[in-house]
Amino acid sequence: MIKYFTMKTFFKAILNLFKKPVTIKYPFEQTFIPDDYRGMIGFNENLCIWCRRCEMACPPGAIVFSQAMDGKQTYHFNRAVCIYCSECVRACPKEGAIFQTNVPAKCALKEENINNGWNILYGEALMSRAAYAAEKKRLAAEKAAAIKTEMEKKEAKS
Amino acid sequence: MGKQYEIPLGAQHISLLEPLHFKFTTENEKIVDTVANVYYVHRGIEQACCSKFKFRQVSFVVGRVCGLCSVSHTTAYSQVAEKLIKIEVPRRAKYLRMLVIELDRIHSHLLCLSHVAENSGFEALFMKTMQYREFAMELLEAVCGNRIQYDFSIVGGVARDLKPEVGKMILERLKIFKPQLDELVDIYQNNWTLSLKNKGVGLITKEDALRLNVVGPFARATGLAADVRNEYDDLLPWKEVGFEMVLDKAGDVHARNMVRLRELYVSMRIIENIINGLPESALVTETKTFPDGEAVARLEAPRGELFYYAKGNKTQILERLKIKAPTFSNIPAMVEAFKGNEYGSAPAIIASYDPCLSCTSR
Amino acid sequence: MNRIETSIDKVKDDIRNFYKPDLYHFVVINAVDLGEKIEVQWFFCEYANPSNIIAFCVQINPDEEIPSIRDIVESSWVAEAELVDLMNIKIQNTAKGFVLEPDFESGPLRKKK
Ligand code: SF4
Ligand code: SF4
Repeated sequence: MIKYFTMKTFFKAILNLFKKPVTIKYPFEQTFIPDDYRGMIGFNENLCIWCRRCEMACPPGAIVFSQAMDGKQTYHFNRAVCIYCSECVRACPKEGAIFQTNVPAKCALKEENINNGWNILYGEALMSRAAYAAEKKRLAAEKAAAIKTEMEKKEAKS
Repeated sequence: MGKQYEIPLGAQHISLLEPLHFKFTTENEKIVDTVANVYYVHRGIEQACCSKFKFRQVSFVVGRVCGLCSVSHTTAYSQVAEKLIKIEVPRRAKYLRMLVIELDRIHSHLLCLSHVAENSGFEALFMKTMQYREFAMELLEAVCGNRIQYDFSIVGGVARDLKPEVGKMILERLKIFKPQLDELVDIYQNNWTLSLKNKGVGLITKEDALRLNVVGPFARATGLAADVRNEYDDLLPWKEVGFEMVLDKAGDVHARNMVRLRELYVSMRIIENIINGLPESALVTETKTFPDGEAVARLEAPRGELFYYAKGNKTQILERLKIKAPTFSNIPAMVEAFKGNEYGSAPAIIASYDPCLSCTSR
Repeated sequence: MNRIETSIDKVKDDIRNFYKPDLYHFVVINAVDLGEKIEVQWFFCEYANPSNIIAFCVQINPDEEIPSIRDIVESSWVAEAELVDLMNIKIQNTAKGFVLEPDFESGPLRKKK
């Protein structure tokens, strides 16, 4: 019994020498990537309605919007923080504003300072939004005060 | 009584996949006592889930508890969260969840088997098993879009649909895999060299398994019928898709190998049935309610029973989330099963437990 | 999930009367910080009718010592050791230092005051 097994395995081992390898010859041959691989997140500024739902849905916080003083928002995305779960795509009310491609993300480089730089950017973005909100509130209050004085003047006249 | 020696194994050891520490007290070559230390990778995930993340985001966080049974964790969490917000999952989503869990089980079991072979000193079989495992990884990538972190179950349903061409691809690949699995079963069952290291080693009886509350293939190899898939019909309809319990009697490493291999046939049948009879419905049930009250959910992960407890307080953030991983229940039995074995068999025994330390310590 | 509310003195007897190794499967011990009090829950599950999950619930003060059930359910020591470290409650015959380092800030799962 044992002899039979050893003979069989022996011949198999010899035959295996002439078989093709089962591994693939990366990088000359591409590895298997399906068509709907979960790759880079793309963003289309022209379609976005700036509702920030993607930012609220994102589990690791890879999306943040900063806001200039004129109210214009800018989209920031960190591909090293993103986990490619496509929650942002599901949360977005506007089709095509944010979408997932099947291109794998490039790895992060040291020059990009992707951790610290992102943390600073994230904080600044939140601050810029708070500043814009405060400014808006101040303007609204000013406007309300102006209207009030106007009304009072009118009342005094009549 | 001979002289006793203490031999440490781990936390960094060539035969271990993850940091795990055993301290063996040995007499000559026999192990007489064992102490285990399993908490090298505590990451505080439970705390993070109850403080930093909203309850819909938590299903992505718990997926990172473990790479191998990621989909089991996300599904178990989704089930518990669905109970808290009181919604019913669409039928198609349930079937797709089962599909991915079973594909995941195939790759996880094959990984465990290959490591048993490697730790028993059978390098060629390790390579062969890993080679055959690759198809499961590619199928998972085709279904979920990623090789490791599937992020497939979300609260309320599943994230992606199964395309018909992917379904066809799965059936084709399973057809190729079947003869390969037969070959593996033949080797694991009959190979004489492997049997020296596996038969009668790491023995645990059914009484011990009952006493120590063992779960998963570890329990089923002793003849203890503990499989959550056999039990729940309300959350995932396992019986509808042809689930059958696989049991063995011996309770040694060889029996665990055989249980795992025979479970692969069951998994393959389940996958075929799911793809052939996939019901049509929506994928996600939408709702805007917040979690309230408390709930538990159990699910059979590749390594055994996974248990989730969650408590909500009508806000976005959960009050408490408790994760009980399968290996956590098996630690007392793991320590016990070493007794009376040779120190040289310890690596093979450890591999046959299929321990998952990142699940255990979270 | 069936909750059985008991008290700290009675819980051990209750579990002793209830637990049969061949009928019930011990799952885990869990604790929830309720603010003033801590609720400790012992989870069991029936082999024959597994959707029947039984939880023995006890509300304790944070500094009370709860009894260990190791002499009834042998495999409960892992769950007990974990609770001692993560919730910072006292359990009979259970020392700190299984999950976290003994000098770590204890009770990370407790609510911050
Ligand atoms: S894919 Fe997920 S992690 Fe990445 S930006 Fe979108 S929501 Fe965030
Ligand atoms: S959710 Fe969509 S529309 Fe809203 S801000 Fe994000 S990308 Fe723009």
